[in-house]
Amino acid sequence: MGLSSAAEIDGAQLCIFDLRRGQQEGQELDKILFFHPADCPILLQLSVIGLCEGIITFTRIFSPEDDCEVIESDKHCHVFYQAEPDIWMVLVVQKIKDNESTLRFGALQGILKESHSLFAMFHGPIRTLLDRQPSAEFARGHLHTFITDYLSDFSVGKKLQLPTYRDSLTERGTVQMLTVSREVALEVQSLTTVLGSCLRNVICQSVVLFEDLLVSTTLPMDDTLNLYTYAILRLTPSALSSNGNSWSYLRKGGYVNADTTLSSANGAASAERYNSRSRDTSPGGQNQMHHNFRPLQREKLSKGKDGFVAADFVTTEIRGAVPLNPILWFHQAEERMYLCVYQHKNLTILLVIPASSLINGEEGIAHVKRHLLENASQNIVTVEQKLSRGWGGENAYHVGGYRYILSDPNRKVSRASPPGKVITLSKDSLLALNRLRGEIDLEKSRAKRSDPTHDKDYEVCIRAKNNAWIIAKISRGKELYMAIEKGGETLLYASTAVEKFSNRYCEGAFSTD
Amino acid sequence: MQGGLSSPGALSHAYVQHPPLRCDIPDIKGLFYDDANRFLVAPTADRILYWKIAASTQSGPPNSDPINEGPILSVRFSLDQKAIGIQRSSHEVEFRNRETGEGCSKKCRADSETILGFFWTDCPTCDVIIIKTSGLDLLVYEPQSNALRLVESKKCSATWYLYTHESRLLLLASGMQCTLFTGYQFSAGGIVKLPKFEMVMSKSEANNKPVLAAADVHIVTVYGRIYCLQLDRVGMALNLYRFYRDAVVQQGTLPVYSSRIAVSAVDNIIMIHQIDAKVVILYDVFMDSYAPISAPLPLLVRGLASNSKQAAQPADQQSSAYGGTLYGEGWNFLIPDLICDAENGLLWKLHLDLEAIAASTSDAPSILEFLQRRKSDLSMVKTLSLAIVRTTILERRPVTLVAKAMDIILDSYSRSMKMVGGAAGVRRTSEQNQQSSFQPVEDSRVVSQEPPGTMIGPVINTDSASGVESGQSQSNSGVEHGIANLAAHVDRSSLNTSSDSDGITNTSRAVSQATSSSQISDATGKRPQVVGEDSQPLASGTSMQHGTHVASVAISPIEMVQSVFVLVEDEMMGDPAYLIAVIMEFLRSLSKAGLKAPPDLYVMMTALLACSNRYAEIALFVSNKILEPSRELAMQLIDLGRHHSLTRKLGVDMLRERCLHHDYVAALLQDGYYLEALRYARKYKVITVQPSLFLEEAVAKNITPNLAAVLSFFAELTPSFKTTSDYSRYRHILSEMV
Repeated sequence: MGLSSAAEIDGAQLCIFDLRRGQQEGQELDKILFFHPADCPILLQLSVIGLCEGIITFTRIFSPEDDCEVIESDKHCHVFYQAEPDIWMVLVVQKIKDNESTLRFGALQGILKESHSLFAMFHGPIRTLLDRQPSAEFARGHLHTFITDYLSDFSVGKKLQLPTYRDSLTERGTVQMLTVSREVALEVQSLTTVLGSCLRNVICQSVVLFEDLLVSTTLPMDDTLNLYTYAILRLTPSALSSNGNSWSYLRKGGYVNADTTLSSANGAASAERYNSRSRDTSPGGQNQMHHNFRPLQREKLSKGKDGFVAADFVTTEIRGAVPLNPILWFHQAEERMYLCVYQHKNLTILLVIPASSLINGEEGIAHVKRHLLENASQNIVTVEQKLSRGWGGENAYHVGGYRYILSDPNRKVSRASPPGKVITLSKDSLLALNRLRGEIDLEKSRAKRSDPTHDKDYEVCIRAKNNAWIIAKISRGKELYMAIEKGGETLLYASTAVEKFSNRYCEGAFSTD
Repeated sequence: MQGGLSSPGALSHAYVQHPPLRCDIPDIKGLFYDDANRFLVAPTADRILYWKIAASTQSGPPNSDPINEGPILSVRFSLDQKAIGIQRSSHEVEFRNRETGEGCSKKCRADSETILGFFWTDCPTCDVIIIKTSGLDLLVYEPQSNALRLVESKKCSATWYLYTHESRLLLLASGMQCTLFTGYQFSAGGIVKLPKFEMVMSKSEANNKPVLAAADVHIVTVYGRIYCLQLDRVGMALNLYRFYRDAVVQQGTLPVYSSRIAVSAVDNIIMIHQIDAKVVILYDVFMDSYAPISAPLPLLVRGLASNSKQAAQPADQQSSAYGGTLYGEGWNFLIPDLICDAENGLLWKLHLDLEAIAASTSDAPSILEFLQRRKSDLSMVKTLSLAIVRTTILERRPVTLVAKAMDIILDSYSRSMKMVGGAAGVRRTSEQNQQSSFQPVEDSRVVSQEPPGTMIGPVINTDSASGVESGQSQSNSGVEHGIANLAAHVDRSSLNTSSDSDGITNTSRAVSQATSSSQISDATGKRPQVVGEDSQPLASGTSMQHGTHVASVAISPIEMVQSVFVLVEDEMMGDPAYLIAVIMEFLRSLSKAGLKAPPDLYVMMTALLACSNRYAEIALFVSNKILEPSRELAMQLIDLGRHHSLTRKLGVDMLRERCLHHDYVAALLQDGYYLEALRYARKYKVITVQPSLFLEEAVAKNITPNLAAVLSFFAELTPSFKTTSDYSRYRHILSEMV
């Protein structure tokens, strides 16, 4: 059937389209807001999107309330995500033969969700962009640069390397917290107060990270998650340091490639539009006041001598080499915010300043920065010292014998075994775990459909190959997945292991009642 | 700036309380002051009348004692008050045993020397010291035989001398200008000779050398330190010296606005009376700051009917009201805080007007520090301190400033807690001392707990009869506290009672003692200028040591919550973020001081966060324990969960973590998790929750097998359940469902 056309493309495809556009015959092209890979023939793009639209419409007959989430075919897996009303993101992944269960739909959809939230944080909702400019040049231009920059993290050569069973002990879309003592937590809050007073009349919000872990936030959960995600992608010391290394170079290759291949077919058109947009200085945009500011563009972000991390746009004609601060859109706050990033050793501070309270943008930010340096430096140094002293290193949250992920989807928080320990698991264990997580995901969404307010508890223990126990336990909305290799034979052993872990590390959240 | 703090008498910072002690009895031949016993003595022809003014200056009939007739130059009772010494002339001192009435006298060679004065001492080797122009006679007084025995004579020339019992310090002036000084300290610890030193005098003309008079030199004892103030009339300056064991160091120069000055010490504040200008200037030298606390202001008479309404009145009006003159000719300033108006026969006691001082500055942290160091008028200190903190919050002063203010309050509290505990813990050592040492209670002292040698060994004696600590005494590894820590006053009677006060010593034994040493090093560690590295501050004999708070001066966290946060909460509702930040700083101060916050505060903080829609932060603070778990907090979270289900979950989880089984089961049931609740109830044997609540939930969910299961569960768990009406009722419902 129609799916065969997609098979011609090697690897994964990601498309974004708007069902409210291009509904007239002959105008189908207008639907497409983004397509990866950009050099994909326009006809193929139309065919993929046409198929997706068909599936969406078809499934709505049976399930008007809930959207289609995934379609699995012989060779492909289509993952759907309705990011905004009638704006769909679809990820098409080619299946590798023999082990059909290496992918987990939840993990793939996580990518779509994450990229959309980040996009909306920097550029606002796609619908708003489309409403503001019906020709969709802004929207296409922003999506093109943004999603391409985002996908550059996944691309190996020309291909996208998407999450597989090896990532079954990670959870996209959650924040990882640093555990601190009460005394240090109070010290951090004291810093937060000082940070909040960087502007005289308005309280600034802040998010504080240590290494790649969240220490404190004054923002609501969703905004915290977005900023946190952005920070660990691009701003933390480890993210910044990966800018120049070979690994990043490899990615860069892939992404430059994508840029240069814009000349083909549809790509040419979008590139042209994109260029014209960058000359466009019409008001009403957001980050286009910074011209083509690309928040996810790795190469441009760096830490300055003053400790602030900013994008340095040498090429900007008007401003010269001025460090720029991105503007953010937040879910709950209705106004635009400036993001100002300060870094001291392993401590990263994201300061969020309401744009309306700064009379003249960059100058106001310079004032805030000065204020921060003058008043908060001492606190920052103290907090960094205390956190460093208590920091257990990258294996701080390793629990001997267990490979686990502990997550609270309601709070969007997770904690997991360090990656360096997870890779010691055998492939069989990881596959089993991945499969189990997929099953649980299904169960969860089924339960949610029947009673959205009631948390259902689950407990599954599976004896896998190599004497491994694969365990999933959901209790009062909190989730725990773990793999214990070389464990005892009895089920009692497995449940005791969970009980021990729960009492020791989860304050009894998973203990058997 | 301090709104609401200004007091009616704000134009004065020090006052005397009306009515004074009246001592204008006819027939008396002058008034004498015995500063060791704090007696005001008025001799008549054959008797001496005396008032004990240690405790109060309330008027009352004087005590009386017969004496022989004769001229009287000075009168001093022995420290045990069993004998009276009367200087009859410049060559004779008479001693009279008050029990037997026997007398003896000590005379000196009339031709070559004169007696300048005498005093009683608690020094271990002698009882009486007579100061003569040619030197000192150290004598032992034997009451049985009523005889004096010379122990030692020290040769040195003296033109005049100064001695205060408070400091146990004797200064002998000699030289052409009387600017060369020899000093001795006669204390229970022994005799210490200070190095000779010279005071500075400006010269007016080349050949005119002014002579320093005894009236121009004042010994002041504050914070257990000994200072000396010397008026340089030519230079119109007041030189301030501090005494260390092996040095006398000039600390600074204070301004003078009068050719005559007088010095008092009230509650460790130095008051310098500018007599001609009729104003007084206050200094608090605790932090070695020599700036006055406030501008020069007149002294006020409080309690006069006429000025109770009006703020301040011209001095003449005041004086006419009570029949004397402020800073009149007859005013004598007695040590440490008394004024004797010899002309009118009145005795006044000086007081600080803390309220007025607090109102005169907007620097909240420094005024709080000042207040927390005060020992008098404790309830006023407390009220003022709380009001200041409230005001800083209401005025929305910077959070850092409020934090500093709260730090000071809590520091002071935790210190006072530790002092009480420390004194208690050490009681045994001081009891051991009683067996071995000559004068047990007096000998007890605070010794730094630092290993010998690592510190300069600040030693501050805590009781009335202590001395300069000798270096080797620090080899005592134990901390020896004076029980006298608990006694606020210098007089002996209070010392004795305090050593019996088991009630206090039993409390909080567990509190670390080590803090007392750090406290002391705090008090002395800020020693300025180039004093020899091993020189120790010369300690006075007073108990006026910083840190020995009586518990009531300190403000407990609970009082802070009730008298500050609860009171400002309503007014701050418009700006909860500020109050939240302040409470956060308060929690930080508490945690730094090792204190706990009352659960109410967490409940309040959570409510404030919730009303500004900061639920994410509530979760953060619960998870990192900034909001310490308690049943109160859990219930508050559940309550707030009406608007935010995740917050409710936090509260329910907290109930589970706190093992509040009944509440947890009830909360689960409320949320409809009846099976989970049942499992939990079975595991933790929670039998206090009504079975009908579970059954009702099961019926509401309309799942037949579950209802049947719950029913049979209760039937099995409690055999008597089958006989209840609940059982039959739900049985019936079940049969209808099937």
